[in-house]
Amino acid sequence: MDPSYSAVTVLGTLILGLLVSLWLPGIERKFVHARIQQRIGPPLSSPGLMAALKFFYKKTVRPSSPLPGLYNSLPIMGFISALLILLFLIPPMYSIGALASLVAIVGFLKIEEVIYVFMGSLSRSVMSMGMPFPDLARGAKYPDVNRYFLEDLSSMRAFRLIAFGSFPIYLAIFVPAVLSGSIFLKDIVAYQAVHGPVIFTMAGVIGAVVFFIGYMILLNEYPFAILKTKADVIEGPYMEYAARYRAFVYITRGFLMFTLGCLFSVLFLGVPPDILSWGILVNIAVAAVLPVLMAIFSAFAPVFTFKQFYPVTVAASVLGVLALVTAFV
Amino acid sequence: MDGKQEIIETEIAMGPVHSAAIEPYRVRLFVEDEIVRDAEITVGVNHRGIERIMEGLPVEKANSLTEKVCGICSGVHLWNSVLVAEKGLGVEIPERASYIRIIVGELERIHSHLLYLAHGNEVLGHETFSMRLFYIRETVMELLRLIGGNRVQYGVPIIGGIRPRADLDEMKIQRIGEGIDLIEEKLEAFAERFTSDPMIMSRITGVCPISRKDALRLHVTGPTLRATGVDLDVRREMPCYDPFEFEVITQDGGDVRANLLMRVLEIFESVKIIRQALRDLPEGKVVDRSWEMQDTGIVKSYVEAPRGRLYHSYAIEDGRVRGSIIRTPSMSNIGAMQYACIGHHITDAQLGIVQCDPCFTCTDRAIEIVDMSDNPRR
Repeated sequence: MDPSYSAVTVLGTLILGLLVSLWLPGIERKFVHARIQQRIGPPLSSPGLMAALKFFYKKTVRPSSPLPGLYNSLPIMGFISALLILLFLIPPMYSIGALASLVAIVGFLKIEEVIYVFMGSLSRSVMSMGMPFPDLARGAKYPDVNRYFLEDLSSMRAFRLIAFGSFPIYLAIFVPAVLSGSIFLKDIVAYQAVHGPVIFTMAGVIGAVVFFIGYMILLNEYPFAILKTKADVIEGPYMEYAARYRAFVYITRGFLMFTLGCLFSVLFLGVPPDILSWGILVNIAVAAVLPVLMAIFSAFAPVFTFKQFYPVTVAASVLGVLALVTAFV
Repeated sequence: MDGKQEIIETEIAMGPVHSAAIEPYRVRLFVEDEIVRDAEITVGVNHRGIERIMEGLPVEKANSLTEKVCGICSGVHLWNSVLVAEKGLGVEIPERASYIRIIVGELERIHSHLLYLAHGNEVLGHETFSMRLFYIRETVMELLRLIGGNRVQYGVPIIGGIRPRADLDEMKIQRIGEGIDLIEEKLEAFAERFTSDPMIMSRITGVCPISRKDALRLHVTGPTLRATGVDLDVRREMPCYDPFEFEVITQDGGDVRANLLMRVLEIFESVKIIRQALRDLPEGKVVDRSWEMQDTGIVKSYVEAPRGRLYHSYAIEDGRVRGSIIRTPSMSNIGAMQYACIGHHITDAQLGIVQCDPCFTCTDRAIEIVDMSDNPRR
């Protein structure tokens, strides 16, 4: 393939992805949440685009953190990891075999998850700040105990999610690999070009459902939003991010929605993101449909505590295993 | 240090500003692996000293001030404060005024319970249900504005009856009737949807229960007490409620589910009372101004506020208020809020507090007596 043609494809797809992703949070909030809740909702461009733009021009407040440099760089690292996933989903990048494989994608997704652990553990918001002396306002039954910050709590939850919450999406990702007999994206796309999309198989249907559950968990959406539950940890890992760092948080969320939509298209429909192909419309459609479905589910669900979270994740993981077994058969 | 203190190593403090709390208070949760082992709630952020401000004010003016105690149940504070004066001065109010006071009181109970339900759903993370409940509540707020002229602090009761502007004409009676029909219809649909949702039921059933025995030990009051199965409601002891037929709703379990359902069912009873009041509303004047001011001793009055038993007392001296004391129901329920959290997940702990329907701003009138006798610097 002509290198300049490849460069145009890669850059064009990434830019298009970024542009589309800026509207996805707006679609989720304006067209689904607001409609279901019978309210006007924010302008379509507000949650993803205008909010991010606004924050870019705000004065940066230096957060209270033991490692402010690392803490501030984490949203950017999250964005880069989402960007890398999309990058290696674009066909011209398939020549870099190792990185255009499911193992690399799992690695990049793991970075996304680990970042929450660091964000939480490095944040020191005023929400839990104690007095420099024992708080004797009303008895203070336990004056010498360690005081956790709310973000510490979300950090521990992120750690638990790494242990069990990410099973569904990883199991679902490997369903097309089992069917095609390869972990390389190139082979998975080629397999589907010959045999039809994976989603039209029994294993593919189950895998797609499990992928969707994993997608919601990864995006910390209700009912799986235990990392940022309003009832206790509020914004959780993002609590202290302000100005351009918060802008990156918003952009990354939208971009991750688009990237995961493209990942779904590649793995279950066999349509890779390529700006020079009509298939890109499928990618955009999937990237828009998944947040809409997610928003419908989240609008009608309370937040889960671990008591509800464990059984749902176990059930989704069992389904994922079932999809893999079906794919083997 | 006792044995308990040796075990508890971690504290998570929330507030006084927190997204799950609609009012300023501080809760310190002592946890082990996200399970609450002990809790401590501190109020004091919003202390305004209303009783102190009331001291020496003319009675009518002091009564108006009691509406500022609470932004949710402002009407019932004024009602109870006026009742103190009426009891002390021996004032009999016209029957029509009594009926209108009850209509306002029950509408206030409905809007307070709807706020409770909406806030409970918000803490549950169910924004959709929360929004829908706020829409239902909007009808009640507009009805209160129709009667009193304001959505909060409607200033209906005065000594001797009600303000003449709050009298109900045919148009108002019709609109209130239509309004409560709409509330009942929408709430029925909500209750059906809410109780049939397995995700919600799994989040609220068996969460933060308070047993009947513990509720009595902790001096819990109001719907929170009735949610544990105790059949106690001050309205049954209030003579003005005698003409009305209503049931005192109770639930079993004292958990979040029981508390939420308790409020839903109480709203239906309030609707029933309002319907009866509108149907049988007596003709006649709404205020009797023939009473005379005189000195009284300390007079106490209790009413059933939306959150439970509300206490007001003061004496009248030269037409001015002396020694006013207000005890709000949430003050009695703080112990239960702390207790309900214990043994539950942190995310449920906030739900445990919310299930007791806290109103910390109106509770914020406590005075802590510290024994300074051993302090050399006193």
